[in-house]
Amino acid sequence: MSDPEQKNPAAPTNGSNARAMEELHTPPMRLQFGPSHPATHGTVKITLDLEGEQVVWSEVEVGYLHRGFEKECETGYYYQNIPYTDRLNYSSPILNNVGYCMAVEKLFGIVTPPRCDYLRVIGGELSRLADHMLCIGASAMELAAFTPMLYLIEGRELMLDLVDALCGARVTTNFVRIGGVSADMPEGFREFAIERIDKALTLVEDANKLLTNNPVFRRRMEGTGYLSPKDLVAWGVTGPMLRAGGVPYDIRRVHPYLVYGDLDFEVPVGEHSDNFDRYLVRMAEIPQSRSMIVQCFDKLPGGPVNADDPRVRWPAKGRVFNRMEELIDQFKLVTEGGMAPVGEVYHAVEAANGELGFYIVSDGTGKPWKCRCRAPSFSNMSPLSKMITGGQLADVVPTFGMINMIGGECDR
Amino acid sequence: MSNANPLLAILSGLWVSTRHFLRNLSRFARGRQDFAIHFPEQRLVQPPALRGMPVLVQMDNGKERCVACGLCEWACPTTCITIYPAETTDEVERYPQIFDIDMARCMFCGLCEEACPEEAIVMSRQIEIASYSRRGSLWHKQDLLVPVNQLKTRTDYLRRNYDR
Amino acid sequence: MTADNNGEKPAAPALPPLLRKVIDRLGAIVLEHKSAQGDDRINVARENILEAARMLRDDPELAFDLLLDVTAIDYLGQPDDFETNLQVWDQNRASMRRQPQRRHELVLPPRGPNPRFAVVYHLTSTAHLHVLRVKCRVPEDDPTIPSVTSLWPGANWLERETYDMYGIRFEGHPDLRRIYLYEEFVGHPLRKDYAKHGEQPIQEYVGPGAKEPRRPH
Ligand code: SF4
Ligand code: SF4
Repeated sequence: MSDPEQKNPAAPTNGSNARAMEELHTPPMRLQFGPSHPATHGTVKITLDLEGEQVVWSEVEVGYLHRGFEKECETGYYYQNIPYTDRLNYSSPILNNVGYCMAVEKLFGIVTPPRCDYLRVIGGELSRLADHMLCIGASAMELAAFTPMLYLIEGRELMLDLVDALCGARVTTNFVRIGGVSADMPEGFREFAIERIDKALTLVEDANKLLTNNPVFRRRMEGTGYLSPKDLVAWGVTGPMLRAGGVPYDIRRVHPYLVYGDLDFEVPVGEHSDNFDRYLVRMAEIPQSRSMIVQCFDKLPGGPVNADDPRVRWPAKGRVFNRMEELIDQFKLVTEGGMAPVGEVYHAVEAANGELGFYIVSDGTGKPWKCRCRAPSFSNMSPLSKMITGGQLADVVPTFGMINMIGGECDR
Repeated sequence: MSNANPLLAILSGLWVSTRHFLRNLSRFARGRQDFAIHFPEQRLVQPPALRGMPVLVQMDNGKERCVACGLCEWACPTTCITIYPAETTDEVERYPQIFDIDMARCMFCGLCEEACPEEAIVMSRQIEIASYSRRGSLWHKQDLLVPVNQLKTRTDYLRRNYDR
Repeated sequence: MTADNNGEKPAAPALPPLLRKVIDRLGAIVLEHKSAQGDDRINVARENILEAARMLRDDPELAFDLLLDVTAIDYLGQPDDFETNLQVWDQNRASMRRQPQRRHELVLPPRGPNPRFAVVYHLTSTAHLHVLRVKCRVPEDDPTIPSVTSLWPGANWLERETYDMYGIRFEGHPDLRRIYLYEEFVGHPLRKDYAKHGEQPIQEYVGPGAKEPRRPH
């Protein structure tokens, strides 16, 4: 404000920016953005060097939420690690459950019954809806558009109600089991779910009307955070960010798992690889998820929801109470965790932010020798510094918001 | 659509939020109460699947159903259950002399309930477990016992999944 | 999965097409290969990792352009034929059964003569959509391996994480620092000889204001 050089009559007003820089040169200002900044919805520290409003150098530091997930997994039985995976991406926990359990099932070679697969897809897509709504709402709020946040959070609440009815908890779901799911869906869930999802989608539609054509929102999103498709791939970015760059890489499509091969859905792709396309891809995935859930309800077969695999899946409770063999089996499985074959597997699922892979190395015991989580947020965060350097300070916030960095998953 | 007039876009956005406002206002005028849940007086209606805090089932004779087999202790990922078994002359011969759950560590995951071969520990609908001290979050056997007829929602829900 | 026992020397027709292509291209660089549980894996020597990675990335038929993951495994106490030796499996199970449930202290397994660590890369191709695992054994006394950041910039953070967790130094990495833990952290937590409940020395705060007397609470 009271900068004397501002009043210097010799200072050129505009047009010869370079000369102005030369004459008025001051050392770049160092700005610490985060770790607990309202716009970093996830604790991350971004150190920025600013020349005026321009970012000339930046460094991103993660790790504020490191809880030793992998170390913890090495000391727990396979089934005991499922609740920990809820805490990876806490805005779409069922997808993490599915990813972990499918990796362990691949290790054991278990085939899950079809009803279980459909239930997993239903739960997973509900989580994805909740995650996308939260991501869009939070990013809009960081750009000072507070109303869409309210609508989308309400939509997310509706999704969480469904998750709650499905598995008994809103965030710490612990829904999927190795070789099955914890419970069948309740009666009347189909009607309840479709009604809730449609209600949420009208809210998304309202948010869409508020955001998509809004000139302020578009100016801040369009053209910012650009990374060429080639760079996106080289940096290991996956998920909506990669698809916004025009690369149709969606694990549900390219390596169909569960029942995604039978479902009819589109993979929306963008073309400009900027924040606005990332937003549009997420917006376009929301109706796709709804259509997948409806298709799953239509195709949902009857039958058991748990694999009949005495190596790892705990026996049905009704038989544990009455029969000796199942009781012994229950004791063995709880106290030894189901002995895995020796080997190593990598299995990836499409989480809300990208490819969520679990790499499990087994030494033949009931505990994993190594359990590695390939977190999409971590890889998506790594080019952030490249994306924001050279841009404006104000572009940091939408870029960060559209990466949708989830601290629990990024820092594990 | 994407190249619509910015002014129009802003106006349509304003119309969206005005519509929400008017709708809420008219509902409020008509006496709709569910804008917020006033917590201690009102409670959310929870689904039957709700996993609250783990409790011990108390049978009609006032004793626990637990036989101190220790499976829940094994299954618990956070090792928050402590059991000291003892013998009794009852039919089941064993009972937990001490059965403590450290609610500060418990994450309501429900694995103890799933491991129990006696349906002796179930997830209740109780979710209000705040306490003023860490010692207060250590629940002993006497605090954990809940009569079996109060746990009907949960046991019914569990029995639905018995044969899967 | 039942074919694990004879996985050491797979017969030629059993080779999955991806592995065949990779072995054709890389030739003698591939020390060992295996296809189990639907995953294809090759082992290369760590001196050759850059060469192998460049070939895997640049060959138009392989085109592994997306580096999914870099991590390491600590094989402390496991023999070389860890994956095929059924006896090891039995021993592991027996030792797990013997462990008390709440084991907080550390029981160090004996060290074998084989390299202790393995660095694992997971690669995929956005064009051909195949996934390959590349493994390099790294000995304990010289835990270094060339960095692949020059090929995939995304390896930067992944290698930093591996360094943080396992202490494997990536040579040629532009900025090899800890990523999750603080600089003064002693040890590398995902090594098997780091106890889960291991304690760290308390760090004195040395920043600005450190000398000032503490304000009472
Ligand atoms: S609910 Fe989970 S954490 Fe709590 S006591 Fe049971 S097993 Fe342990
Ligand atoms: S598993 Fe059930 S019977 Fe066994 S100790 Fe726990 S509560 Fe008691």
